[in-house]
Amino acid sequence: MEDGTIRTDRKNAHLLSLRLDEADAARNAPDGIDRRAFLKAVGASLAAAGLAGCSGEPDQNALPYVEVPEGTVPGIARYYASAVTFEGYAQPILGRTFSGRPVKLEGNPDHPACEGATDLFTQAALMGLYDPARSQAPRRLGDPVTWKDAEAVLVRLGRQLDENEGAGFRIVTGQVSSPTLIRQIDALLKRWPNARWHMIAPFAPVRAAAATRAVYGRPLLLRPRLEKAQTLVLLDEDILGPGPFQTVYGEAFGAARRARREGDAPFRLLVAEPVPTPTGAMADKRHAVEPQVVMPILQAIGVALGLVEDSGQKLAGKAASFADQAIAALRHAGAASLLMVGERHGAEAQQLALRINEALGAMGSTLSLLEPEGAPMPEAANGITQLKDDLERGAAQDLLLVNVDPVYTESGGDFASLLKSARLTIHAGLYEDATARTCDWHLPLQHDLESWSDARAFDGTVSIIQPLVKPFFDVRSIHSVLAMLAGRFASDHEIVQETWKPEWGAAFGERWRDVLLKGFVDGSASQPVRPTALPAAPVRRAETAPFNGFTLAVHPDPSIWDGSLSENAWAQETPKPMNKMTWGTLLTVSPATASELGLKNGDGVAVHIENRAQSALVWVQPGQADKTLGLTTGYGRKTGEGAETTLGANAFLLMGSSGKRLVEGVAIEKTGEHVDLPTTQPHQAMDGRDFARTAPLTQAGQMRDAQPRVTEAPPSFYPDRPLDGPQWGMSIDLDICIGCNACVVACVAENNVPMVGRELVAEGREMHWLRVDHYHDGNVEDPEFHFQPVPCMHCEQAPCEMGCPVNAAVHSRDGLNLQVYNRCIGTRTCSSFCPYKVRRFNWFDFTSDDPETLQAMRNPDVTVRMRGVMEKCTYCVQRIEETRISAQKEGRPIRDGEVRTACQQACPTQAITFGDVADPSTAVSRKKREERNYLLLEEVNTRPRTSYLARLIEDEPKSGETG
Amino acid sequence: MSTDQQTAGRIHAITHRVTGAALRYPHPRAWDVCFAGAMALLVLFFVSVAWLFYKGVGVWGNNIPVNWSLAISNYIWFLGVGHAGTLISALLLLVNQGRRNELNRFAETMTLFSVVCAGLYPVLHLGRPWLFYWMAPYPNSMGIWPQFKSPLAWDFFAVLTYLLVSVVFWYIGLLPDLGIMRDRAKKRWQQVLYGIFALGWRGSARHWARWETAYRLSAAIAVALVVSVTAEYSLIFAAGPVPGWNSTIYPPYFLMGAVFSGFAVVSMITAVLRPSLDISDLVTDRHLDLLGKLTLACGLMTAYGYVAEAFTALYSADKFEIQTLADRVSGSHSFSYWGAIVCNFVPLQLLWFRAVRTSPLALFAIGLSVTVGMWLERYMLLATSLYRDYLISSWGGYAPSLWEWLLFAGMLGVFFVPFLLFVRFLPMMSTFEVARRIYNEDDREAHHA
Repeated sequence: MEDGTIRTDRKNAHLLSLRLDEADAARNAPDGIDRRAFLKAVGASLAAAGLAGCSGEPDQNALPYVEVPEGTVPGIARYYASAVTFEGYAQPILGRTFSGRPVKLEGNPDHPACEGATDLFTQAALMGLYDPARSQAPRRLGDPVTWKDAEAVLVRLGRQLDENEGAGFRIVTGQVSSPTLIRQIDALLKRWPNARWHMIAPFAPVRAAAATRAVYGRPLLLRPRLEKAQTLVLLDEDILGPGPFQTVYGEAFGAARRARREGDAPFRLLVAEPVPTPTGAMADKRHAVEPQVVMPILQAIGVALGLVEDSGQKLAGKAASFADQAIAALRHAGAASLLMVGERHGAEAQQLALRINEALGAMGSTLSLLEPEGAPMPEAANGITQLKDDLERGAAQDLLLVNVDPVYTESGGDFASLLKSARLTIHAGLYEDATARTCDWHLPLQHDLESWSDARAFDGTVSIIQPLVKPFFDVRSIHSVLAMLAGRFASDHEIVQETWKPEWGAAFGERWRDVLLKGFVDGSASQPVRPTALPAAPVRRAETAPFNGFTLAVHPDPSIWDGSLSENAWAQETPKPMNKMTWGTLLTVSPATASELGLKNGDGVAVHIENRAQSALVWVQPGQADKTLGLTTGYGRKTGEGAETTLGANAFLLMGSSGKRLVEGVAIEKTGEHVDLPTTQPHQAMDGRDFARTAPLTQAGQMRDAQPRVTEAPPSFYPDRPLDGPQWGMSIDLDICIGCNACVVACVAENNVPMVGRELVAEGREMHWLRVDHYHDGNVEDPEFHFQPVPCMHCEQAPCEMGCPVNAAVHSRDGLNLQVYNRCIGTRTCSSFCPYKVRRFNWFDFTSDDPETLQAMRNPDVTVRMRGVMEKCTYCVQRIEETRISAQKEGRPIRDGEVRTACQQACPTQAITFGDVADPSTAVSRKKREERNYLLLEEVNTRPRTSYLARLIEDEPKSGETG
Repeated sequence: MSTDQQTAGRIHAITHRVTGAALRYPHPRAWDVCFAGAMALLVLFFVSVAWLFYKGVGVWGNNIPVNWSLAISNYIWFLGVGHAGTLISALLLLVNQGRRNELNRFAETMTLFSVVCAGLYPVLHLGRPWLFYWMAPYPNSMGIWPQFKSPLAWDFFAVLTYLLVSVVFWYIGLLPDLGIMRDRAKKRWQQVLYGIFALGWRGSARHWARWETAYRLSAAIAVALVVSVTAEYSLIFAAGPVPGWNSTIYPPYFLMGAVFSGFAVVSMITAVLRPSLDISDLVTDRHLDLLGKLTLACGLMTAYGYVAEAFTALYSADKFEIQTLADRVSGSHSFSYWGAIVCNFVPLQLLWFRAVRTSPLALFAIGLSVTVGMWLERYMLLATSLYRDYLISSWGGYAPSLWEWLLFAGMLGVFFVPFLLFVRFLPMMSTFEVARRIYNEDDREAHHA
């Protein structure tokens, strides 16, 4: 093995380095004494401390960096290319580490699918690694045991399965793309033919897989190529919303919108949806429909394309005009159009959508099909319903559940009692969640950032996952656990290598090294397949059945997904895009429903469906369809930390055992309870103000609903500042900001922003340096939605600097508005005077009580702020300085694009541009010269360095529409 | 000669009574009760400050956007209350209004302790209060001066200056009386104590001449300071680009408001002390009448400020200013706006009648109403401007926390404990000045006769 440190030139745009020695030492350690010795050296102290419930050990023991590898300079970051997984899919990263501690995850810029951007889940994965709430030792019936005990039970189970050929054995996972994991499980299934593998992710594309099976004869992966689409019709499909491919879709959307603005290609996004989502917010035309009307719209489009028999049925009102527009737009773009329908509308809808795309010629153009590359597709046959049947019948007796929490996600079907009826239940996962507590055994797993593994990305490209740090709890990887079950003891490193050795052949050693440096396997992307669609007769148009009561539309949570991030404070405190709620979920109702039932934001309601009931808190959501209730998953847990610190109902329980994410016949009634919601933005109606501006698409020179453009700033009382040297500035494009919050969490990670918890958020004391304002404007039935990221404006004539009595708010020569923490005495004048209210105050001591793990997570380049001082966005001054120093050493000016702020780097759509505004040739200067450039609160004459590009909208006036 | 003897006799009696109150207090039981109450409040002050320092300023209800709250509105309110003392005493001295003499000592003392309370607030409200001295321009190893563009830096200078000048003015005025106290004290320790603070006052003609110059000079400085200090701290509002604050009306508006609330408090104190110290014949109905008139005049000028402010907001056609006006009138803190208007200006109108002006009870009630009203005004100016400023996304709310109220109550202890000690142990009226006035009046009457 090629030991030693390989480090590319620091001057490269990104730094890739690999420290094999340490990681290998960790993984190659044989079992027994050496492993124990290793554990002792590595993380036993912390694990033990964690078990004992106290931690008095210093950092360096918690996160060992015992032997400093040669060539390491303390304080200089090193980058490791790896990946974290979300929903089983790789999110390629470059992990920035200091002294062996990962402190920030960036997207891997070379990766073909993700191009350097990340989503909020990837950013929050760092917090997941250090999370003190993680499970730290194996447990049997709740009592801590050793891994020796766990190994014994796994080996015993393996022997037993050898005898009965796996009868009654079930491996239950979420979605999986890891070739190594698939290889391991396949080997076990071959060895034990009676064993089965179930995939039970609540948001897996089960119906899409079923539809591809129906249309093409085999299940295939659907891969929309948004960047190629000129017309995109989305029926209740939140493609820009949370999910494993949000980064990819965000990038594609950004590219399509940029192309539209530059006149390269048209791009029109039409969305019909019951509950407003970021996708709907970004639509050129959005139509609020009850969920029951989605299928009729789809069928109307099918009728127009001759795929559905015309039964003479007509859509009513706005749905009809939407369908007509959609049909016209789809026909106009032809093969460059794409139609998608939400997974929750069933396999038939998916199937019809596929056939419509076939008919349009979109298949192969804007929509690709990929082979699953050996990964089983999540389908009914291997799904949760089958598993429940098997458990009931007694066909499933010994279960190994890997990183899934069905006791919670299937709480509507009372999975817990079924699970208890099994003979042996083993849960392996990162947290001691509800399932872990129900199972006989719980085995704590490694986080991706401390594991050897592999996974595929959106396009099938394989990433090798290498550890950025040694595990600091007493945890194992799933690969080791499966190996133990197979009666084999190999290191994870070996197990992963075994997957690739046969494939790469003789050049393995060289290639392995290259892959680790690069982070992914070149050319491993799946080739799109183009199977012929099986012939099908036009389907009959279904009658629209009348429905009673409310329809509950369940969405994955934009911050904590299905609840798997519910222990993650960064995710929990991220304000959700459409209501800025933190630490909880809200039952959204339409304004008409709210006024009918006398509900306002924060009111409590009881939600009933059949014999299931939950209490929920209401959010009046403009633009939501009537008779529809929206709710996100992940909340309403009965156990774990999420139970006490969060608010909201358990959507999974309300879904019942069917697993359907549209539940009809729901009743709600007001309880009289009222809660001050922990939302970071209580007021979201823009009331005709021009904070988030729009400009007509065809006349890009004119700005709608804007004040007359001030070409020259009015005179200021204070003298202008000299503009020599680089002058930093930022431009934020509201045309492509999808409100996804990747920037917000990236900022948190980069700048050691403390989390404050639900109560303090409700009191208006959240600490986010960067917020994404959300507004709705116009008619509440059919409003315009806006996202507006607001970092510090870095005003040239900053009121905060004038107000500070002690020179703590000062201006730098390069135009930064800086806050000197150790000079700040906390008068808060700066914040009182700040028209943008971007400053954040340490009302309490938010940092010194942090657990050691969280202290180790901090970026050493950024000061940790103490109680009583003001803080705010610095334009990532530490990154500017780092670049300035290296440029100065090389005697050259800083190149355009060389400094990237954390928010900019994370942004999937590239909505944020940063650079020198004194140099007219830079990207940011070019953006600021665009006609749609404007300053927020220009009239206050603070002369902000952060400016916005107005969102481009279609010319038709919103209010002029008729049904 | 008989009138001279009469006069001398009266002067003696007055001196005896006024200084006697300090040496042998007439109502010790009542004083004890009041003092016990004040001490309880003082304990509350120390408890709430200890909790504040232990946990941080987050124990209050502040947030982003309402960064400032009760601490700052109380600061301004206490300063305003204090200004009346200076004005009454110094202004009337400078224009040779003899009527001041019976009131000035209370008023100055009230000023002193109000300024102490006011000065404590901005320090307590700091995130890191132990570093408050960084606002002072002193040579330091960091090589940093205060930021001289900041209204807060000047605020610090202004309040400190005002406190020092108030102490000096008060002490100079007290000096001859301390001499008298020393001479009249029976107990040795009293003689020594009063003697030390009397600074060797012997009442010689030269002493009197020097004293007169010093007293008038410090009075002149104090009057100018009232104007400049009020103008200065109004700038912590007016200088910020915050709708509802950023207005040139603020300095005169604050001056009038301060004097208004100050007169109101002096009215209350006079109405209470007159019976409790048995000095109704010294503080006569004519004094009450004068106080009533001054309160009315200042109140009307403050009312003009309200009108001007609303007019400016509407006339500006600035949507943010108009929004703030609307928030004041009908927002979630509108109680403070309407409360201020009602408490400040409705009972005030009774002062048009002499009968009301000379009734201590009525004067007390109106004074109380104005004190509450001005407190509400300070609160209103802060909260209604901050809780909804420019960006709708940043709009928030504010409600003072329990600890803010406890600190406010405790701060009243900080005010009343030393004030009661003063009433008990120092001459609460300027003995020699009252004596001199009586002498002059009797002299004139004698000439008339």
